[in-house]
Amino acid sequence: MKYFRIWWQLALMSLKTQMSNPIASGGYLLGKLFRLVFFIVFLMAIFRHTSQLAGYSLEEAALFFLTFNAIDILAQLFFRGIYGIRSIVRDGDFDYFLIQPTHLIWRVCFNTVDFLDVGTLIPVAGAIVYLFKRIPGLCTLHSAFLYSVFLMNGLLIAFAMHLAVAALAVWTQEMDNTIWIYRDLITLGRFPPSIYDRPLRLAMTYFIPIAVMVSFPAQAALGKLSWHALGVAILMSGLSLIASLSFWTFATQRYTSVSS
Amino acid sequence: MKTLRKYGFVFSLYWQEGLAQRASFVMERFRALVVMTSLYYLWSALLRNQTSFAGYSRPQILTYVFGMSLLRSIVFASRTDEIAMEINQGRLSGYLLKPVYYFVYTFSRDLAEKSTNFISSIIEISGLYLIFHVVLAWPRSWQTWVLFILAVTLAMFMNYLLNFMVGCWGFWTSESSGPRFLLALIMEFTAGAFFPLDILPLHIQHILQWFPSPYLVFFPLNILLEKADMHQIINGFTAQIIWIIGLSLMARLVWVRGSANYGAEGA
Repeated sequence: MKYFRIWWQLALMSLKTQMSNPIASGGYLLGKLFRLVFFIVFLMAIFRHTSQLAGYSLEEAALFFLTFNAIDILAQLFFRGIYGIRSIVRDGDFDYFLIQPTHLIWRVCFNTVDFLDVGTLIPVAGAIVYLFKRIPGLCTLHSAFLYSVFLMNGLLIAFAMHLAVAALAVWTQEMDNTIWIYRDLITLGRFPPSIYDRPLRLAMTYFIPIAVMVSFPAQAALGKLSWHALGVAILMSGLSLIASLSFWTFATQRYTSVSS
Repeated sequence: MKTLRKYGFVFSLYWQEGLAQRASFVMERFRALVVMTSLYYLWSALLRNQTSFAGYSRPQILTYVFGMSLLRSIVFASRTDEIAMEINQGRLSGYLLKPVYYFVYTFSRDLAEKSTNFISSIIEISGLYLIFHVVLAWPRSWQTWVLFILAVTLAMFMNYLLNFMVGCWGFWTSESSGPRFLLALIMEFTAGAFFPLDILPLHIQHILQWFPSPYLVFFPLNILLEKADMHQIINGFTAQIIWIIGLSLMARLVWVRGSANYGAEGA
């Protein structure tokens, strides 16, 4: 409850900041919505000339794209604070976080909450529900359950990746752009993974688990994942979490204060 | 000659600055590489079991993918976002006091950004060309190359004018970053910087041709692929010239009105 109250306070502060810049915020929100619409138009345009993309129909390909968006938006909504980690460290705010009676990871992650992402999450969630109803055989409790489980698993991997980026910033006091490498890489998950060749697919599953994060939920719901994949998903999220938590501990133990 | 040397020096300074900020430069190029790789795989998958897609053969569509990556680096790479910042922070005053035309100064700065991105883009494309053993649709005549280079040059200038004007929004608001983000997205998508515009339904294509964006990427690449006939080429160049004249007049008006409104806050 205490943590929810802190989150709420930080979220309100972020909202007030965004509301004080209505033109800029409006532009960003509209931009995010346009990007979403444009990619849907792109997919629809492709399917005017073909009936399938690597074995998937228009609705199924759209489900991959929207799932990528859902994970990306949720990660930005919940872990937005990581984007500013370098300035938190550089400006001395990290020292201040260290003495606060809250969990350090929680404090860093929720330092900023981007409410513009709520504006984009609503249409994405609505479109996913619509696709579940539209794709034959998908509107079942079983599919919805599998989709939700893999979505949560994807969010865990996203959290692990964000935490690793934060740890790198605390450790080196640099790496301003690392989070953007992650953002760019996950865009590979916008399309069904079967469009990529085998070495890249394997790298996307076992090396940097983008496919596990953004493609597995849609594949699971569509019944295209084996039980073996469920094991891989749990293993990859578990390993990612353990590795990034260890790295975070390593980095914070070596932190000696930068600016204060 | 002296004037040219002055702006050549600005170009050289920003070229060095661009290379000095290696992390940002590498990041930007990494992003371009990811986009190009994912689109390469997407189009390859679409052409896996067929010889052509929406009138494009495999070599043609892959030439489009590589070509649009190259054009993004020339046409869209820009430092005009700094214009709004310089206005808002009052740094514009410094330029107004110097013996330089701000418009030409920022154009030289933009050219430096474009040239570093262009060289990097050539290296990336060559790398992917060798890795994937891509067969490209090279133009059959040298005249095509001349027309392509001309269309790209005009596209580059068109986009610069548009960005300069948008940068000048800084005269009226300190919140121009959001609208600029929105406009950049709209321009990129409607320019054909992600896919050839002729895969869209005809009515959307007809609407788009009244906007400047299709003449930034789609039109030059249509020339390169030798898909545009003489009538379309003449129409395209006419549209580019009309847009350049129109945007120049608008940019001039925005600059005059804006600088009259300038208060040098923060200077």
